[in-house]
Amino acid sequence: MSRVVVAGSKNVIEPVIENLHEQNLLHIVNYSGGDNAFAMGKSLERAHEISEQLIKLRSIERYLGITGKIPDREFTESEVVSQMSDILDVIGADVVTTYERIAEIENDVKVKQDQISAMKPLSALPIPLELLSGYESLATFVGTVDSPVESDVSGVSPSNEVFSAGDHAVAVFVPVDKASAVSGVLAEHGFVETSLPKDISGSISGAITTLESDIKSLGSEKEPLQKKLDGLKAQHEDAILAVDEYLSIKAQKAEAPMQFASTENAFVVDGWVPTDQFDTLEREIESATGGRVQVEMLNEGEADELVEAGEDVPTKIDNPSVVRPYELVTRLFATPEYKEYDPSLLIFIFFPIMFGLILGDVAYGLITMVVMFMLRRKFRTPGWTSLINIVIIASVWSIIFGILFGEIFGPMGLWDYIFSGAHYVGLLGTVAQPHLVGVDFGVGFYGPLGRIGPSGIGSFDGAMFPMYRLATASVLVLIGVSLFIAVLHTGIGSILGVKTELAYGEKRHAYYERLPVLLFQVFFAIGLLGLIVGGLTNPLVPLSALVILVSIVMMVKGPEGVMGATHIPFFVSNLISYLRLLAIGLASVGVAFAANKLAFYVVMPMLSGPEGAHGAFTTMAIVIGVVVLIMVHFINLLLGLLSPFMHPLRLHYVEMFTKFYSQHGGGIEYAPFGHVRRFLRG
Amino acid sequence: MVVDIIVDGGMLYGLIAVGAGLATGLAGIGAGVGEQGIGAAVVGVVAEEPGFLGKGLFLMLLPETLIIFGLAVSLILMFAWTPFV
Repeated sequence: MSRVVVAGSKNVIEPVIENLHEQNLLHIVNYSGGDNAFAMGKSLERAHEISEQLIKLRSIERYLGITGKIPDREFTESEVVSQMSDILDVIGADVVTTYERIAEIENDVKVKQDQISAMKPLSALPIPLELLSGYESLATFVGTVDSPVESDVSGVSPSNEVFSAGDHAVAVFVPVDKASAVSGVLAEHGFVETSLPKDISGSISGAITTLESDIKSLGSEKEPLQKKLDGLKAQHEDAILAVDEYLSIKAQKAEAPMQFASTENAFVVDGWVPTDQFDTLEREIESATGGRVQVEMLNEGEADELVEAGEDVPTKIDNPSVVRPYELVTRLFATPEYKEYDPSLLIFIFFPIMFGLILGDVAYGLITMVVMFMLRRKFRTPGWTSLINIVIIASVWSIIFGILFGEIFGPMGLWDYIFSGAHYVGLLGTVAQPHLVGVDFGVGFYGPLGRIGPSGIGSFDGAMFPMYRLATASVLVLIGVSLFIAVLHTGIGSILGVKTELAYGEKRHAYYERLPVLLFQVFFAIGLLGLIVGGLTNPLVPLSALVILVSIVMMVKGPEGVMGATHIPFFVSNLISYLRLLAIGLASVGVAFAANKLAFYVVMPMLSGPEGAHGAFTTMAIVIGVVVLIMVHFINLLLGLLSPFMHPLRLHYVEMFTKFYSQHGGGIEYAPFGHVRRFLRG
Repeated sequence: MVVDIIVDGGMLYGLIAVGAGLATGLAGIGAGVGEQGIGAAVVGVVAEEPGFLGKGLFLMLLPETLIIFGLAVSLILMFAWTPFV
């Protein structure tokens, strides 16, 4: 990135803005005042008019329920200009009146519904509505009560007339001078007054019927209006969005001078541009204005000074298209700073492998992939597409690991039926008979080191796989694999940490804070390996002890002093944390195993009666067994998708990013002055 | 004598399994208690400033390592440790 200043007199401000916008290259830095010679710029005169049009258009969009869509067709600028007044005034007015009428109808319906629900309890009262109010010498109380009121009302007002219907509805007529006393009595009985419509006469039940038919006719008036709005939306949606885009671009251009520093007759635009694009930028602006502006690149010293003064250099995030979805994960944490390494590529490499290692099931992987492909048609916003692409790539890995683990719907699932043609016998066999053929890691200091597969079934005898994950040997192997990934992952993080600190010129931080962590973690793991393989006498053990000691001394000599060494438990826990790759996988395998066991060894034999024990299941038993299978596997898949996503995410954010990323608070993204055209042809 | 009963009476592996269960389970409770407060605070922050979602997630996931420690102890108990014999 290079810092660029464009200066010129105000009579070329419009061509400069036009040209900058078209080039879409300059990341403008807002002028924030502070220099007496320059004032903040004012927007162009037409900005006011444009924003008014834009507000009008946005309200039309809101009435029609337009929220942005994939363009079906593109418009040229002249098409948009010719349609704009039609859309804003003619169609717009139509939309507004239609929408307002619908809102009015909806309001009316609501009022009438409220009246109906208020009058419903009173419908059995034998008095017409018009006789319930409007007296001079009589006070009336119409509403509902909890218990009969006649005797108590007579107590305070001997002359009265009480009508009641059903258990709760009452209409009480008393002389006006007794009103307050009667009101007190009624309150004791839980009296709730009903507000009656003034403009309806006749019996209450008749009034309810009238209101109901009113609601119906209002509904039938609303229906064609709604259809008309839907029709207008279908017909003009693209055009409206195109006008929106056109006006947004115009507004953006008209308001651009507010970001500039300006004097009475001149303006200065300050910004960043990718260094290799500077020549293009300069040439284009100068040709657009006939050379009447000054375009200048600040030399590196000046740019560095700005950075040291606390100004952020924008970062242009640029990754190959397969890696691009993973920028979502990076951005969720922080935008990389200008001199920082963008970790998206590392996430692209490690995240799917970790996901696959945890989920590791052919069927789950396939189902996930199919569902994601279906969702991709529905959710087409950039954020969702990225997320879905991430999961699709990850599900490929879970199929690969599923083949390695021999899991289709978990152990004892379809794998063994497909590849061995026999009932599964191997799971417990593997645990009990560790001497079976396969890749054996031999005997270590503390006991056997474990092996990879096989289970002794069918044609896979002696092969590398499948390694059933629940078998002891596999668990030990996977602990090793997890720790290997841990050292690799955190090691890369530490190396990048050294690199980043050097890029910022912090040599002391690089060599005495980042480097010892790398040494500590790598040799901690090597020492552990030596201990397992050959015990304390293995040469790897004293060697790593020595290196660890050196690394601790380096930490103490580092910028944090003795406090630096207090982070050691954190570095150890970093490594152990990767055991989750094994652990969460085991949990979901356990549930899948339980599902299969439940269906094939419990539900089906039990429901089949005496023959069931020999594998002759009745149809009924098979149906119920399959229902159980589907239910448990479905729940397991739902839970099993969340954890393989969240936990690798955590491993990146906590274990890896803390080594190198976002130490200085995150950067800002390169956002050049321009507009993405979707509905307008360029 | 008690040791004899435990070892010879076949209780040993049962007790190891109980110990392994307690290690993971209690660690899980601990992690949960830790995450409770952080989670509540993170939801509060994210409601006001959605940009903090990533950092909040980072903080919320920190105590989760606790349960992995418990699990590591369980794995050692179950698979790698053979006492008395």
